[in-house]
Amino acid sequence: MLLFLLRRIGLMLVTALCLTFVVFALTNMPAKLETLAKTQAGSRMSDAEVASWLDRNGYGEPLVMRYGEWLGVWPGWVREDEDGTVTGRCVTLRDTPEAAGERCGLLQGDWGFSTRFRADVADVITARLGATGLLMMWVLIVMVPMALIVGVLAGMREGSRTDRTLSTFAIASTATPEYVSGVLFIALLASSTVGISPILAEWGWIDGRVLFQGNARSAMDNITLSNFTLPVLTIALYGMGYVARITRASMTEVMTQQYIRTARLKGVSFSKIVLRHALRNALIAPFTVIMLQIPWLLNGVVISEVLFSYPGFGWTLYEAAVNNDIELLLASSVVAVVVVLVTQLISDIGYVYLNPRIRIS
Amino acid sequence: MDPLNWFEILARMAQQFLPVWVALVVTYALSIRFKRRLGLYGKLFDSTVGMIGFGIVMFWLFTALFADIVITHDALSQVSGMRNEPPGAALRDPGDLYPYYLLGGDSLARDVFSRMVMGAREVLRIAPFAAMISFMIGITLGLPAGYFGGKLDTGLTFLANLVLAFPVILLFFLLVAPEIQETIIPSVMAGVLFLVPIVFVTILLNARFFTQPAKRNLYVGGVLLVGVWAYTGLVFDADPAGFWSMSPNLLNVFVAVVFVNAPTVFRIVRGITLDIKTRDYVAAAQTRGEGPWYIMLWEILPNARGPLIVDFCLRIGYTTILLGTLGFFGLGVSPESPDWGSTINAGRRLLTVYPHPALVPAIALMSLVLGLNLLADGLREESLKD
Amino acid sequence: MKDLHAKREAVRHPVAEMYAREHAARKLDRREFLTRATALGLAVPAAYGLLGLAAPEASAQEPQMGGTLRMQMAIKAQRDPRTWDWSELANACRGWLEYLVDYQRDGSLQPVLLESWEASDDATTYTLHVRPGVTWNNGDAFTASDVAHNIERWCDASVEGNSMASRMGSLMEDDALRDGAVEVVDDLTVRLNLSSPDIALIVSMADYPAAIVHPSFTGDDPVANPIGTGPYLPVSYDPGIGAVVERNTDHTWWNEGNGAYLDRIEFIDLGTDPASWIAAAEAGEIDLNYQAQGDIIDIFDAIGYPRSEAVTAATIAVRFNQDNEPYDNKDVRLALQKAVNNAIVLELGYNDLGTVAENHHVCPIHPEYAELPPIESDASAAMARLEEAGHAETEFELISIDEPWQAETCDAVAAQMRDAGINISRTILPGATFWNDWTKYPFSATEWNMRPLGVQVLNLAYRTGGPWNETAFSNEEFDSLLDEANGIADADARSEVMARIETIMQEEGVLIQPYWRSIFRNAAENVHGAEMHPTFVVDYVKYWKS
Repeated sequence: MLLFLLRRIGLMLVTALCLTFVVFALTNMPAKLETLAKTQAGSRMSDAEVASWLDRNGYGEPLVMRYGEWLGVWPGWVREDEDGTVTGRCVTLRDTPEAAGERCGLLQGDWGFSTRFRADVADVITARLGATGLLMMWVLIVMVPMALIVGVLAGMREGSRTDRTLSTFAIASTATPEYVSGVLFIALLASSTVGISPILAEWGWIDGRVLFQGNARSAMDNITLSNFTLPVLTIALYGMGYVARITRASMTEVMTQQYIRTARLKGVSFSKIVLRHALRNALIAPFTVIMLQIPWLLNGVVISEVLFSYPGFGWTLYEAAVNNDIELLLASSVVAVVVVLVTQLISDIGYVYLNPRIRIS
Repeated sequence: MDPLNWFEILARMAQQFLPVWVALVVTYALSIRFKRRLGLYGKLFDSTVGMIGFGIVMFWLFTALFADIVITHDALSQVSGMRNEPPGAALRDPGDLYPYYLLGGDSLARDVFSRMVMGAREVLRIAPFAAMISFMIGITLGLPAGYFGGKLDTGLTFLANLVLAFPVILLFFLLVAPEIQETIIPSVMAGVLFLVPIVFVTILLNARFFTQPAKRNLYVGGVLLVGVWAYTGLVFDADPAGFWSMSPNLLNVFVAVVFVNAPTVFRIVRGITLDIKTRDYVAAAQTRGEGPWYIMLWEILPNARGPLIVDFCLRIGYTTILLGTLGFFGLGVSPESPDWGSTINAGRRLLTVYPHPALVPAIALMSLVLGLNLLADGLREESLKD
Repeated sequence: MKDLHAKREAVRHPVAEMYAREHAARKLDRREFLTRATALGLAVPAAYGLLGLAAPEASAQEPQMGGTLRMQMAIKAQRDPRTWDWSELANACRGWLEYLVDYQRDGSLQPVLLESWEASDDATTYTLHVRPGVTWNNGDAFTASDVAHNIERWCDASVEGNSMASRMGSLMEDDALRDGAVEVVDDLTVRLNLSSPDIALIVSMADYPAAIVHPSFTGDDPVANPIGTGPYLPVSYDPGIGAVVERNTDHTWWNEGNGAYLDRIEFIDLGTDPASWIAAAEAGEIDLNYQAQGDIIDIFDAIGYPRSEAVTAATIAVRFNQDNEPYDNKDVRLALQKAVNNAIVLELGYNDLGTVAENHHVCPIHPEYAELPPIESDASAAMARLEEAGHAETEFELISIDEPWQAETCDAVAAQMRDAGINISRTILPGATFWNDWTKYPFSATEWNMRPLGVQVLNLAYRTGGPWNETAFSNEEFDSLLDEANGIADADARSEVMARIETIMQEEGVLIQPYWRSIFRNAAENVHGAEMHPTFVVDYVKYWKS
C-alpha cells in the first residue's frame, strides 16, 4: 500500500513538472510576452518600448533558465541600474535588495508574483480556492443526494415509467452545458423584465425586484440563498445527470443479483430490500464516479464563476489566462493537476475499501 | 404588415422544413422496411428511445444538408429596422425578401431562424469530423498499447493522462489564441494528428490484403493519394485544386478539440483491448499465425464496435458542447459565424430583455446533444441484447 | 467684484474678446466658445461673463453629505499615472490625485490646483498661477516647484508608455525636458516657454494621465503610497475585484465644502460582460455603471436606472494601413469608402446613438470644424471603381477588437461592403492581443477617445511619423497645413486651414469614420452629479446621494 502511494505521488510530481513546463513554454512565447508588456505598461507602446520593458523585468533570459528560476533550482535574475538600484526576481518577492541572486522559486515556497492582481500568487490562490471550496461544497451537497435519489429510484424498477422519466431527465441534464443552463436560469429566475420574477413581484411574493440574483459577487462577503442558488444549481445540474446514470446502471445490476432475489422470495418488503441490501452495493460505482467528477466540474466552475462573476478559482484561472499572468497560470495548473490526481487516488483507494473483492497487489 | 402569431410562426417554420420532413419520412420508411437486414442499425428501430434520438439527430443532419433551401434569409445580411424584433415580426420593406423574421432578429438585425439553420451546418461540419479523427487516433494508439502492453503502454498511458490532467479550459486558452495561430504550433499539431488517420487506413487495408498484392496496391495507393491530397490542403493549406482547405482559425479550433478528445478514446480502446485479447478467438488467430495488426484491426476492433459506436455518438455531443464553450469564451470560430456557441454568447448580453436570439440556438444545441445521447442510449441497449 | 475681475481679464486677452464677438454673431456655439476661451486662460466665470451670462449654478439642489456610493467600474492593476492608458485607472485615484485643470462636461476648463493661467497672444508662453493654500495630505505645502516637477516627469520620454510625453512636445528636447522650458518664477508662479505655438497645452494638462503626484512618488503605484492633495484616501484596491475609497478625516482639503460629499465610494469590477452589470443592478448591488452601450442603455433605463448622455468627439476609425497591399492603392481605399453608408452603420452598429461623421476625423463640436459638402455612398460605383483597380475578386479582411459595439460596427461595415459585391471577411481579436499590432493591421478598426481640439487627434494619428499613426498616411501638404493650424489661435482662421485639411483626408480615402459616438451612463435616481462625462471622467469628489 505504501509503495503504491509513493508511486502515485511520484507520478503526480512528474506529471505536474511536465504540465507546468508546457504552460510555461506556451505563455512565454514572444507574442504572449508582448501582450503581457502591453497590458502591464501601456497598451499603445512601441516595439522598442516593449523590448526594453521585457528586458528590464527579467523576461529576456532563455526559457529554460527562467523555468529553473520559477522552480527554484536556479538563482533569480538580478539587474543593476545605472543609478545603483538593484532589481530582480527575489528583490520583488522578498521585498529586500539583499535577496538579489538567491533562489526563490517553488522549492523555496515562493509561488511568484501575479501581474494581473499585483499580489503574491500564493495569497491570490489561497483566497480564491477558499471561495471555490465553498461553492463546490454546496454543489456537492445539492448534486450528490439529488443524483443518488434519481439514480436509485430509476434503477429500482428497470423499464418502469418512473425509470423512463427519470432517465430522460438525467440525459437531458447531461445534454445541457453550463453556459446554456446558466443563461436559461438567469432569463427565467433573475430578470426583472422577463421570466417569473416580475410576476412574483407583482403578486407581492418577493420583496426585491428578482427572485434570485444573477450575480454572485456579493456572495464573497455573505452567502445567501438569493445570491448563491443560481451558480450552484448551474454547476450541479450538468454533473448530476452523469452520476445519476451511473447510479441507475449500478442499481439495476444489483437488483438482478441472486441475494436480492432470495430476499424477495423470502418475502422481505421491497423498500426494506432496497434500503438494507441493495443500496450499499449499488453505491460503490457512483462513489468513484463522484470523485472523478470533481476535476470534471472544474470546467463548470470556470464557466459558472465567469458567468456569475464570482471570484473563485475558476474565475482566477480565466483572468490569468486572458491577461497572460504567467506565474498565476502556472500555480493554477499545479493546483488543477493536484486536484485531478488526488481525486483519482482517493477514488482508487475508496474503491478498494468499499469493494472487498479487490486488493492492491 | 402585422406580425405573425405563434401558430402561424410554427406553421411557416414547418413549411420551411419541408425537405427535411420528406427526407426523414423516406429514411424511416426504408429503415423500418428493411430493418432485419441492417444489423445494429436496424435493431435501433426496436427501441423507442433510440428511434426518438435518431430522429432528432437526423432532423439536424438533414437541416444542415438542406440548409440552403430551408433558410428564409441570408445568415449574415442585416435588414434595417429589424434589430431585436420579436419572433414573427414583418419586414418593413421586404422587396423580394421573405416578408417575415420567423424567430425574430438579433442585435445586428439578422434573421435568428436562418442563423440557427446555418448554425446546424457549421456545428455538424466540425463536430462529427473532430470526433472521427479523435477516434482514429485513439484506436491507432489504444490498440497496440492494450495489445502489446509493456513500455509502449506505460509511455502512451502517461501521455494520455498528462493531457487529461490539464483543465480543458486552460488548454483552450493556451492553444486557441490569435498569438498561437501565428506560430507553427497548430500546423505542427495538425501535421501529426492528421497523419494518424492516413496511417490507420493504410495499415487497416494492408493487414487485410497483404496476401493479395494487386488488390492491396490499388486500395492503399488510392487511400494514400486521397489522404495526401487532403493532408496538404488541410495542414499546409497548399491544395492545388483548392478543394481541401481550412482557415487557420478553424484548424486551430479543430486541433484543440481533437487533442482534448483523443486521450479519452485512447483509454477506452485500451481498456477494451485488454479485455478482448484474452478471448479464445484472439488466441486462435495467433495460432493461425496472423500478424499483430491483423489481429488488432480485424479481430479485436470489430468485437469492440458496440461500446465504441455508443461512445462515438456521445463524443459528437460532447464535441458540440466543447465548441460552444469555445464560443462562450470568445475563442471560437470566425466571429460572424452562425455556429450555436458564438450565437448564444452574443445573445447572452441582452438576455434579460430580448431572450430569443440566445434561446433559439441554446435550445437547438440542447436538442442535438440530447438526440445524440438518446441515440447512444438506444444503441447501448440494443447492442447489449446481442 | 467677480464681474470686475472677469472684465479685467477679458481686456487682457484680445483673442478671447474676439471669441465673444463671434459667439454673439452665432458663429460659435457655447461649448466651442468655452473650450477655446478657457484654454487661453480665462476663468470659467470670466468666460461666462464675456458671454453676458451668469455662470450656471452647479446644481439647484443642496448636496447632501454622507452615504456610500457603489459603482460598476473596471479596476485594473495600477501604475505610474503618466503611463495610464485607461481612464478607469485615473478615475479610481481622483479622490486624492488632483489635476492642474479639469475639463468640464460643458466643454470648459476649470482651474483646480492652478488658480488661473495666461497665454501670450501667439500661444508660445504660458504663465501658470498656482492656487495658494493647497496642502498635500502629508502636510507639505503645494508650490510652483511641485508643478515644475510634474511637468518634468511628463516630459521624460525614456519611461516606457509615458503618453504625456507625446502631449508635451513643445517643452521637450531629446526625449526630455528642454533646458529653460519651465521657469519657476516664485513660489506660486511657473512660466512655460514653448519651442513652437501650442494651443492645446493646457487642455492636455486636463487629460487623465496628467494627475499631479508628490515629489516623493517613485513612479510605481499611486495606491500603495497615496500622497495627494485631494479629500479621499484609498482603503483597498484589488484589480479585477474592486476598490474602496473613503474620506480622509486627517486632511484639510483646499476646497472644503464644495465637494467630498460621500463618505465612501466602492468600485465594483464586474468584468466586461454587461449581462453581469445588469444582473448586479437588478439585485440592487450597484448605484450606477461606468458606461453603458447600445441596447444595454435601454435595459438599464427599463430597470430604473435612467441614462445620462454626453455628446462627444469620440469615434471609431475603420482605417486602412497604406503600408499594406492593396490599401496602398488610393482607388481601393476610396472604393471601399464609397460602399459604406455611414448613417446605416450608425443605425445598425451603434443604435443611432450618435451623429454621422464624414471620414476626416474632425468633429462638428471641435472649435475649428469646417463644414464640407456631404459625402454620398454608392454601392455600384464602389464596385466599378474596385474593378477598375483590378481588385474585384480580392478578399479583404476587417479586423476589430472583441468589444461589442466595435465588433458590431465592423460587422455592419462588412455587411454593406458585402451588399456591394465586395468579398470581405471579419476577424475579431480579444482585447489582450488586439493592441499588440494595432498600428500595423492592414484593415482594422480603432477606438479613439475625444480630444477637445480638432488638431490634437490629427497630430497624433495622421501626421507623417506621428506616434500613433496607424494609417501610415504620409502627405506633405497635410503635414505643413497641420503645422500652420497648430499656431493659429483664432478659430475662424484655423477653420479655413482645416477645410483644406479635411478635404485632403477625404480625397485620400484615409479612413472610414462612420459616426461620432454619444456615450451614456445609467445611474439610480438618488445619485446626483454623476452624469456621463465626454472624456469618461468619474470625479466622485463632486458626486452625492439623496
